[in-house]
Amino acid sequence: MSPEAVLSALDPQAQKIVAKYDQKRAATLTLLHLAQDKIGHVTPEIEAWVSKWTEVPVVHVHSVVTFYSMYHQAPVGRTHIRFCTGTSCMLMGAAEKLDCLKKKLGIENGQTTPDGRVSLEEAECLCACEGAPMMQVGDDYHLDLTEKKIDEILGKLK
Amino acid sequence: MTEPILSRNFQTPDAWKMAVAEKRGAYETARNVLATMKPEDVTNAVLAANLRGLGGAGFPTGKKWQFLPKDGKKPVYLVVNADEGEPGTFKDRYILERDPHLMIEGIILAAFAIGSKKAYVYIRGEYVEPFRRLQSAVDEAYAKGYLGKGIFGTALELDLVVHRGAGAYICGEETALLNSLEGGKGYPRLKPPFPAIVGLFGCPTIINNVETLACVPFIMKNGAAWFAGLGSAGNGGTHLFSISGHVEKPGVYELPMGTNLKDMIYTHAGGVRGGRALKAVIPGGISAKILTAAEIDVKMDYDSLRNAGTMLGSAGVMVMDDTTCMVTALLWAAKFFAHESCGQCSPCREGTGWAYKIVKRIHKGEATIADLDSLLKIARNMEGRTICVFADAAAWPIQSYITKFRAEFEEYIRSKGHGIRRGVSSYTPQGSAPAVSTLESSGARRLVKGK
Ligand SMILES: Cc1cc2nc3c(=O)[nH]c(=O)nc-3n(C[C@H](O)[C@H](O)[C@H](O)COP(=O)(O)O)c2cc1C
Ligand code: SF4
Ligand code: FES
Repeated sequence: MSPEAVLSALDPQAQKIVAKYDQKRAATLTLLHLAQDKIGHVTPEIEAWVSKWTEVPVVHVHSVVTFYSMYHQAPVGRTHIRFCTGTSCMLMGAAEKLDCLKKKLGIENGQTTPDGRVSLEEAECLCACEGAPMMQVGDDYHLDLTEKKIDEILGKLK
Repeated sequence: MTEPILSRNFQTPDAWKMAVAEKRGAYETARNVLATMKPEDVTNAVLAANLRGLGGAGFPTGKKWQFLPKDGKKPVYLVVNADEGEPGTFKDRYILERDPHLMIEGIILAAFAIGSKKAYVYIRGEYVEPFRRLQSAVDEAYAKGYLGKGIFGTALELDLVVHRGAGAYICGEETALLNSLEGGKGYPRLKPPFPAIVGLFGCPTIINNVETLACVPFIMKNGAAWFAGLGSAGNGGTHLFSISGHVEKPGVYELPMGTNLKDMIYTHAGGVRGGRALKAVIPGGISAKILTAAEIDVKMDYDSLRNAGTMLGSAGVMVMDDTTCMVTALLWAAKFFAHESCGQCSPCREGTGWAYKIVKRIHKGEATIADLDSLLKIARNMEGRTICVFADAAAWPIQSYITKFRAEFEEYIRSKGHGIRRGVSSYTPQGSAPAVSTLESSGARRLVKGK
């Protein structure tokens, strides 16, 4: 499906979302999430679509996109990994686990594997410090990381 | 403390589902209160219970509710701060994931007290599973008639929208949260006006933390005096303490306000890992000033910790044993603040950037003793001159780590970091890259947002 087709297919959902808010522009973040989940990153088409629904100028939508770390302005891997480098995780050996993950994937922070499978982002505290070191793989949190656990998680990725 | 209160359902399987939650008494209190009491009864109970906001600032909740204009000209909004992001804190996640109905019941009671017909829960974007569970709990509550029009068969109505954030720590600050919820960048607003007067969409708004609202059903069920009696003077109730770092049993612990920090670490959290010696403790999230091992005989409540020169903050307790290198620890903190400044105020934007650069230089072994004083000067210039207190919070780790561990910092600088990169390196197997290299690579981190 073309991006335009994907977005028009989301129109009925968008209408419901906008109706939940007291003002249309308040739906901006939610609509961006919805469209990015389908397309992978925030394209100019998505920004225009959000602008249409929220009645906010595209330049404003774009500035919002740049502010938040969860909106990707360029394609990322099919699975995006956020690896926590917060204080509690670092106290519990996150640096070493992160190095090990980078070696396995052959990529650095901010990069995607050449096959487009996985991308990596070093994140601030994801607020699961009880399971430090930890990372978020796609939507899911994985706690108490060991090298073996990292292998298992990577092995299951599509 | 004998029985868990806020955490009573944390170990109950599927307590996030309506059927299980109701079997355990969810919504009984709200149903009774709405049928038999007046809104001001709830506010008065919350006041008498000495409930103080558990999002970090510790402001008396009932008092905040009373700031709302009484003229009723504009709609009143209730906004729930579920944007948990303070490093070292993970308690709200437990409520959202394991007992969302408790929070929803608290929202119903608070909305009743303040006369709000519309509530928004702003949940941290990365909390995807907690969001799904909360949304499903909200859907179930609507289906049962506990939300929407005519709740519990009364004439009252309350709509509840769950709204996801998108990855910006600063949106936990209440006015940044409002701007973000309105669809903009998460820029904190100048106060006054306070949100109770001009908040969401320009209307009077009460913002409360997840845990704060989760306390309200218990106050209404068991009475204000009971709740006040659980804590210490002026600090009612119990609190969910997040304990992480070098302890045997990290996790969320529900303990009375005013529990001694030493007991928290040694009795509840199983002590320092492997029986090692304690070096330092951050008592209230990364923004709180650090305590040395000699300073931990202190009560964990707002007033006692303020008297000890730090703060309870988000009650995120981060424990560091004797292997921790304080220079490296400061590097982690400085990185956080440099990345998360929203960039609106120059003392904060530039101060956090410079501080991170200097700490990196120290860490690499390329600094002089004079750099320590530059850091302290930068920190001083960040305090008290910005739109929000993020800049102050960024100054505190710098000041407290350096002043309390000055000798270690100087020794590190003089030896150019050789031989004393304790901590991380001692837990890094020989042969693999030391922690330092990883941290340095983060210089080329993701595009720094919001700058
Ligand atoms: C930089 C900064 C970050 C904050 N982050 C949070 C947060 O993640 N969660 C929260 O509940 N409060 C946070 N707060 C506190 C809120 O501004 C606000 O005081 C709180 O949500 C009010 O609720 P309470 O009175 O129930 O605690 C933060 C404050 C600042 C200055
Ligand atoms: S102090 Fe920092 S985080 Fe707060 S508004 Fe100013 S620049 Fe933004
Ligand atoms: S420091 Fe990693 S989850 Fe908090």
